[in-house]
Amino acid sequence: MFKKILIANRGEIAHRIIKACREMNIISVAIYSEADKNALHVRRSDEAYLIGPSPANESYLNKEKIIRLAKQIGADAIHPGYGFLSENSQFIKMVEDSGITFIGPSSKSVEMMGEKTSARRLMKEHNVPIVPGTTVSIKSSEEGKKIAKEIGYPVMLKAAAGGGGKGMRKIENESEFDSSYERAKNESLKAFGNDDVYLEKFIENPKHIEVQILADKFGNYIHLFERECSVQRRHQKVVEEAPSIAVDEFTRKKITQAAVNAAKACNYYNAGTIEFLMDKNKNFYFLEMNTRLQVEHPVTEMITGIDIVKQQIKIADNQKLSIRQEDLKIHGHAVECRIYAEDVDNNFAPSTGKIIHHRLTSGPGIRIDRGIDIMSEVPIYYDPMLAKVVAWGIDREEALVRMKRALSEYQISGVITNVPAFNWILHQKTFLDGTFDINFLDNEFLPLVPHKWKDESAKEYEEIASVLGAFLKMQEQLTPSSTNHVSQRNSWREQNYE
Amino acid sequence: MSLKEIVGESRTMNEFVVTINSNKYVVKFSPNGEVTVGENTIPFEVTKINGNAYLLKFGNRVFEITSNKISGNNFGLLIDGWYFDTTVRTLLQETVNELQQNKAKAKHHSDVKAPMPGLILKMKKLVGESVNIGDPILILEAMKMENELRSPSSGTVKEIFYKEGQSVEKDVTIMTIE
Repeated sequence: MFKKILIANRGEIAHRIIKACREMNIISVAIYSEADKNALHVRRSDEAYLIGPSPANESYLNKEKIIRLAKQIGADAIHPGYGFLSENSQFIKMVEDSGITFIGPSSKSVEMMGEKTSARRLMKEHNVPIVPGTTVSIKSSEEGKKIAKEIGYPVMLKAAAGGGGKGMRKIENESEFDSSYERAKNESLKAFGNDDVYLEKFIENPKHIEVQILADKFGNYIHLFERECSVQRRHQKVVEEAPSIAVDEFTRKKITQAAVNAAKACNYYNAGTIEFLMDKNKNFYFLEMNTRLQVEHPVTEMITGIDIVKQQIKIADNQKLSIRQEDLKIHGHAVECRIYAEDVDNNFAPSTGKIIHHRLTSGPGIRIDRGIDIMSEVPIYYDPMLAKVVAWGIDREEALVRMKRALSEYQISGVITNVPAFNWILHQKTFLDGTFDINFLDNEFLPLVPHKWKDESAKEYEEIASVLGAFLKMQEQLTPSSTNHVSQRNSWREQNYE
Repeated sequence: MSLKEIVGESRTMNEFVVTINSNKYVVKFSPNGEVTVGENTIPFEVTKINGNAYLLKFGNRVFEITSNKISGNNFGLLIDGWYFDTTVRTLLQETVNELQQNKAKAKHHSDVKAPMPGLILKMKKLVGESVNIGDPILILEAMKMENELRSPSSGTVKEIFYKEGQSVEKDVTIMTIE
């Protein structure tokens, strides 16, 4: 087994991987940028190394430096987490060539799946259904417009190297094409270092259903059932759950089989996720494969009892999968809410600053994966996700009441978060009856922003808030020098720009 | 009548107007440990747990509240998963504020403000150019996403305070349109 693992990531996922290392008695190595010098992943690691300045491309994306460091300090494996270099086949190749083990798939598999257009071709060949559209990237706006006309508007422009909503644009009609094309290309270049984009027909009101798979280096493949990730804003997932109440036994059988086929098609090993769009008639289409650990992996861990990160490490260590498909069962139901540092009522503006108070929620069925603690900085350079609250219940109903209870206990100060938005989401009929699709938030929530989404139960608290607000103001007048709770807006928002 | 006479200075120390989402609450504390909100007078007690967490007993109801002090008059409060941006003013401050707002309404120009901290990627308008409401005027990059800002009003670009490539704080005025 590995003695020392370098974690080429930050935030909650680096923290999550450290926990797995601890449990496996492996030395965990954190890397950090200047902005992250006091970050939680640094505090929790066994060893930590400054990798560079705050911008990601000078720190967490600096391939050469990370590999050089790993060699220098005698790390025998690198775990990439998600985002950053996790799906960068060039980086994985460099790791492979350096003699260090990459905890993830081979660079070859990633390459096959990473370039979204060739992945679509590969899936088509292996009888995994794909969304109609191009299987090569488009060369010009003119060519794109021609194809869009053929397959019919609306269409989606997507980054060939992409994922996570970056470099992705929906185009309703031809007049929008040029500017969207330019924007999508710019965003992809910035996010992935590659500006190739391709075109897909826009599937009306689909659900986002994905299947977790695990495969070892000996050709054994299993799936860990599906996740439902349709609650999204601007293509960023906000709530995920497992299993999906929209997937019946028959569909589950078909979609998990398709997922295993997809993994086999690229000779995959380690943990991976195959994402599908599912329409109202439960037809599903391959969207993309995420050749890495997924943000929402905890909901699968909760319903299967399998520690996916530890499985990743064992697979990378050339161990055979010890879990057999027939032994796996869905146990109960799990829901995850992503806590973002954003001000919902101010157009979801990212909120940056220093965490000055943080109390975790806990209790039956609750798990928190987090990247922050008291005195952590939330810098502008990286993704604004702070933590994930996961609730497990014997059924969906219990998981949801636990989630609501847990979120009401969550305390955080120093940044503004999206916690209140879940008070709305988790009470909607569309969400509760499972009929929601990927447009749920855009269609039903966004029109109510700002403030109109707050219902009567929020109103009841306004009076309470007014009493404490007035009390704090009165105290300040009595002792004007005691500004010991939070500093002024300017310093609260203090940040170092490049 | 002076402002002082309207309000009565002695009352300003314990009587406040709290604005939450444009709802106004008049809150008055009495020396015997009671608070009056609107029509109701209720015993209350506040315990400071730490610099940012408070326990509020309101009658016999108990609330744990987390605070973000945003400015001298502005407290963000998180209660049972709900977040409230409260603006607290003494009666005197409230009266002054209302007068100022009425004055501002008389003017006819609009500011384009940064809705979030970010980097100005592209300015789509120059000083002197005319714009229509909803026209794309600049692209602001924040947390890896490009955000197109659109004009809040129709008119002419009067002044631009930042250049492409510059970072802006939230709420700063990037340009004015007249």
